Amino acid sequence: MMYLLKENFDKAREALAGAYAVVVPDEVLPPKDALFPRSETLYETDRRTGEARAAGAGGKTLLFGVRPCDARAIGNLDAAFLESGYVDANYAQRRENATIVALACAQIPSPACFCDSMGGSPHEAPEADVVLTEAADGSGYALDFQSEKGSAVAEIWKAADLIGPMPAHLEKAPAPTCTLKVNKVPDLAQKLTAAFEDGLWERLAEACLGCGCCTYVCPTCYCFDIGLENRGGTADTFRCWDSCMFPGYTQMAGGHNPRWSKTQRLRNRYLHKLAYFDERYGRTLCVGCGRCICRCPQGLDITRAVEWGERL
Amino acid sequence: MNAANPLLPAACRIIGITDETPDVKTFRLQTQGGAKPFAPMPGQLAMISVPGAGEAMFSITAQGEDWIESSIKRVGALTEALHELSEGDAVGVRGPYGNHFPVDALKGKDLLFVGGGIGLAPIRSLIRYALEHREDYGKLDVLYGSRTTADLVFKEDLFGNWPQRMGTHITIDVPEDGWDGHVGFVPAYIEEKGFSPKGRACILCGPPIMIRLSLASLYKMGFEKENIITTLEMRMKCGIGKCGRCNIGSKYVCLDGPVFSMAELDELPPEH
Repeated sequence: MMYLLKENFDKAREALAGAYAVVVPDEVLPPKDALFPRSETLYETDRRTGEARAAGAGGKTLLFGVRPCDARAIGNLDAAFLESGYVDANYAQRRENATIVALACAQIPSPACFCDSMGGSPHEAPEADVVLTEAADGSGYALDFQSEKGSAVAEIWKAADLIGPMPAHLEKAPAPTCTLKVNKVPDLAQKLTAAFEDGLWERLAEACLGCGCCTYVCPTCYCFDIGLENRGGTADTFRCWDSCMFPGYTQMAGGHNPRWSKTQRLRNRYLHKLAYFDERYGRTLCVGCGRCICRCPQGLDITRAVEWGERL
Repeated sequence: MNAANPLLPAACRIIGITDETPDVKTFRLQTQGGAKPFAPMPGQLAMISVPGAGEAMFSITAQGEDWIESSIKRVGALTEALHELSEGDAVGVRGPYGNHFPVDALKGKDLLFVGGGIGLAPIRSLIRYALEHREDYGKLDVLYGSRTTADLVFKEDLFGNWPQRMGTHITIDVPEDGWDGHVGFVPAYIEEKGFSPKGRACILCGPPIMIRLSLASLYKMGFEKENIITTLEMRMKCGIGKCGRCNIGSKYVCLDGPVFSMAELDELPPEH
């Protein structure tokens, strides 16, 4: 096991800046932006011939300090964009070029965290290339290099003399436990789907403003819109994040809207997170990061839908 | 489909435009190189883009050696832009997307095609297929209705090609000077014709109200849900099951549809 002293933490990040564009996610927005940008050009079209030329999707990036829940969320994005059905070319290129350095949670970052109720752990990030886990005495980080991309990071740190073997007397601190405990029954997906017509959905959605904030801060919301920017002789087709909480999301040109009410939209969002994605990809989409709970201006709370499973 | 990037359209051009009704045109498309963009199965979809305006998903109503055709009603900004185009103008095409009518499972059956308004467009791809593979299917009937004679699409097929080769039953909603055909709504006309459900499948597409009432008629006549097949329309952006908006429960209409039997739809949430 290799080891990084805490005093070398910033230097370790800086040492990577030569080889990668280093992105340090903040706590508000998830790191998905680096792999699935809020807006990106897909292709440029010659308006006269209709000829379309694909735009590039960036160079080598390194996400530094990704939380385990967010790393797990990237695993879910991989399932949707890469592993089942069509491969999304832009996501594939950015993902291939991305190295993920995860920082295990030494303390639970927020009272709304509930990753360990959703099958995750504040200390485990199998999707990451490197995981930094604080040592029990707080002096530094134990380093798990989990892939070839991770080994490349190790080489850079070794060359800069920033890491060394972990002293024998040290061990990883035990994983903390989330303060928010949510009881997720094993057959939650089936139970919630069967309760499609239940009146609780309306009560859950009652206070919703339809602002879509929950979808922007969510590390696993990956819905997008495709639009167009005219540049005269050419036009750029771009995609950008969209939100299933907006009525226009499903509105058809002829006027019909299959999800015209906010109850239908909230129910669809929660069921996608807790049932539909699971049915399609075998993984629960919600990773329990708690951002949507903290950021909702109306205090809507997805764990109410999770816990509802107990009573169904 | 572009194998490296399924969202990238192929450069195509319009090689023919047919005015079907005051607000429906049929566009015949081929690649800038003079080839067919792809060979769709009946019922599959194409994402058609107008350079500088945007793109939308349409059913493919017909195909030939070196072209595909879509019949498009003018209802919004993109279809408005499409309707302004002329022969020779550039468009983008990507696809084919979605499943298709179950041409194998339907073999040996009598087929009843029921369409309302522009809803005949997707069904026409299967009618053409059944006529091309005539020996594989039993008796063929099409029952089609629109508001007025001016709103009937595919008049050349309805009054020329199809009556010689299959039962062709046309109705308009209200009487009109010079029309001596049937007058009345589609659901009542289905019952009036008394099609037997025995060994027969019904392929149904039209406006929501027509679908709802036609289903009631078909169930009353004894048609099983497994033998009623429809094709759905949803707002779509990607066509490859990623962008999210065309889901019904865990199914995506762009991937798992647009063709569903009523038995399959019964298993899904009523959000379409």
